[in-house]
Amino acid sequence: MSDPRLPDPGFLAITGAEKRFGTSAVLGGVDLAVARGEFVSLLGPSGCGKTTLLRIVAGLVAADRGRVVLDGRDISRTPPHRRDVGVVFQNYALFPHLTVAENVAFGLKAKGHPRAGIAGTVSRFLDLVQMTAFADRRAQALSGGQQQRVAVARALAVQPKLLLLDEPFSALDRKLREAMQIDLKRLLRELGITALFVTHDQDEALTMSDRIAVMNRGAIEQLADPVTLYRRPASAFALGFVGLSTRIPGLVQEEGDGMLRVETALGTVRAPGRFRPGSPVLLGVRPERIRLVREEPGLGANTVEAALVEVAFQGARAHLFFAGPDGDRTLLVEAPEIPAGAAPGVRLRLSWAVEDTLVFPAEPALRQAA
Amino acid sequence: MSAPTAAPAAGPVPARWPRLARPDPVALMALPAFAYLAAAYGWPLLVLLGHSLSGPDGISLAPFARFLSDPFSWRVIGNTVRSALLVTLVCLLAGYPAAIALARARGVVQALLLLSVILPLSVGVVVKAYAWQIVLRRDGVVSQALVGLGIWDAPQRLLFTETGLVIGAANVFLPFMILPIYAVIRLIDPRLSEAAATLGASPVRRFLTVTLPLTLPGIVSGVAFVFSLAVSMYVVPSLVIGDRYQTLATLTGRAFLFLRDEQLGSTTAVILLALAVAVVVGSTALARRLGGGGLS
Repeated sequence: MSDPRLPDPGFLAITGAEKRFGTSAVLGGVDLAVARGEFVSLLGPSGCGKTTLLRIVAGLVAADRGRVVLDGRDISRTPPHRRDVGVVFQNYALFPHLTVAENVAFGLKAKGHPRAGIAGTVSRFLDLVQMTAFADRRAQALSGGQQQRVAVARALAVQPKLLLLDEPFSALDRKLREAMQIDLKRLLRELGITALFVTHDQDEALTMSDRIAVMNRGAIEQLADPVTLYRRPASAFALGFVGLSTRIPGLVQEEGDGMLRVETALGTVRAPGRFRPGSPVLLGVRPERIRLVREEPGLGANTVEAALVEVAFQGARAHLFFAGPDGDRTLLVEAPEIPAGAAPGVRLRLSWAVEDTLVFPAEPALRQAA
Repeated sequence: MSAPTAAPAAGPVPARWPRLARPDPVALMALPAFAYLAAAYGWPLLVLLGHSLSGPDGISLAPFARFLSDPFSWRVIGNTVRSALLVTLVCLLAGYPAAIALARARGVVQALLLLSVILPLSVGVVVKAYAWQIVLRRDGVVSQALVGLGIWDAPQRLLFTETGLVIGAANVFLPFMILPIYAVIRLIDPRLSEAAATLGASPVRRFLTVTLPLTLPGIVSGVAFVFSLAVSMYVVPSLVIGDRYQTLATLTGRAFLFLRDEQLGSTTAVILLALAVAVVVGSTALARRLGGGGLS
């Protein structure tokens, strides 16, 4: 299964991971390969199977089928304490009966590191996460952000081959969360740690990841770098889960040369794609791709008219909500500033490039889920 | 009414009561139980203590000196402490795994397990003791089973032996070991053991370095419960082992009921009480020290 053309095809390779709990399938045959030093996020709504996949890699849940190979060693049947896989848990799971330093030393002692070296390693990792001053405190006496840093130091101190992070920022407030994301990403890059990161927060995934696996209903819908995922989502679900978008259902009128003419509630819209005439499709446009225009632009653009419903000023930019195909605020435009005369009720002309129109097969169930 | 005076409870109230005598609403909630115990338990206890300390010429420690100078008394104290320790040990060894199973079980299984721990408490101790008389006889189930398994060559009687006493008493007091340990285990985050596993700790190491220290407060309170119950048990030794094996509790009963020696009865009762209080106070202090931040 290793491909000699790639430098590191799968430092971590998961193949055909399946898991059922009772009658419900949580994972339906997931494949995922992560390169050495890579930071990959599993992004999806709750119940999509991302945490189960993480726990299978850690050895805390046994998969019904499938293999997990880490650094060339099949660890599918290896118990968690012999896997060399570190975990930062959502609630940090620090040992409440131990001090911060004892928490970090726990793994070193368990792995039988020589006693003399442990203190030095502990203080080095506490230093890395800037928790040296708290070494003798009880874990419980710390704030959420401090506990998270100790949990990271504890997991990294034993120098695992792979670090798993299960929504480690979800208990922190927004400002702290953003600062810690940047800190953690820098720390992992400096140490060259391979990491698999579970989150339901798209911003977190976009900020931190080298690649993102968008998961839905026990399967990976798309595995791509953040830019590709945002610009070229592979499914209506990925479009809806990552970033904001205007979603316009329509019927394909005609297709020629990979260009579609789609009939929608906003009028005829052109989009690049190949669908049979008569197919129901879902069109998607990112808000920053739509511009307000006075005149009819050239041929390479779609133009519609819509009534402005609400303006939301966001500081660096403004969100303009228009009456869209599905109701009052379903057409979203992101503008660098609030345009003059933008009052609710005004009808404005909107335009975006034909190639910025994303087309997906219409799947009513998926549209609802997103 | 002006706004600042509208919420008198919010700010510090000018003290009309002296600081110590001010009624604390939380303390008031304990008042009914306190009053009942003071009348039904505290007062008789004082009377008992008075009896044990009264000599012909007023207050005297002579009854204690006389009792403690008799070798027979020391055998009784030895019986009492040894049987209570053995019962506590058996309950701990059997109860700890049971408490873990109870905490890990889910749904119907957990309900059934919990029921099987609590339901036996509703069967009277006299009934249980009589049942053990039958079970522990020479031709009883235990003896037959051990002979059948080839462990014993011939049927033996466990009734009227200390082993029989410990087996019977452990059965009666087991729930008092399981329930406090279970209550503590239930509060322990299962992620802690998983975290220890991912850090390289084997199952045995996880138990010794994570589960056991975190359940110590439960163990200490279970031990305090069972020891104080076992050290003062009266019905079980009376029915399972009989008069030849005296403990402080049975001797106290004999002194009051048969010997009509109130002095002796009060003395043994006070010694028994001192033993039980020492264990409860000691274990509570231990639990407080060990439990400092034991639970999240």
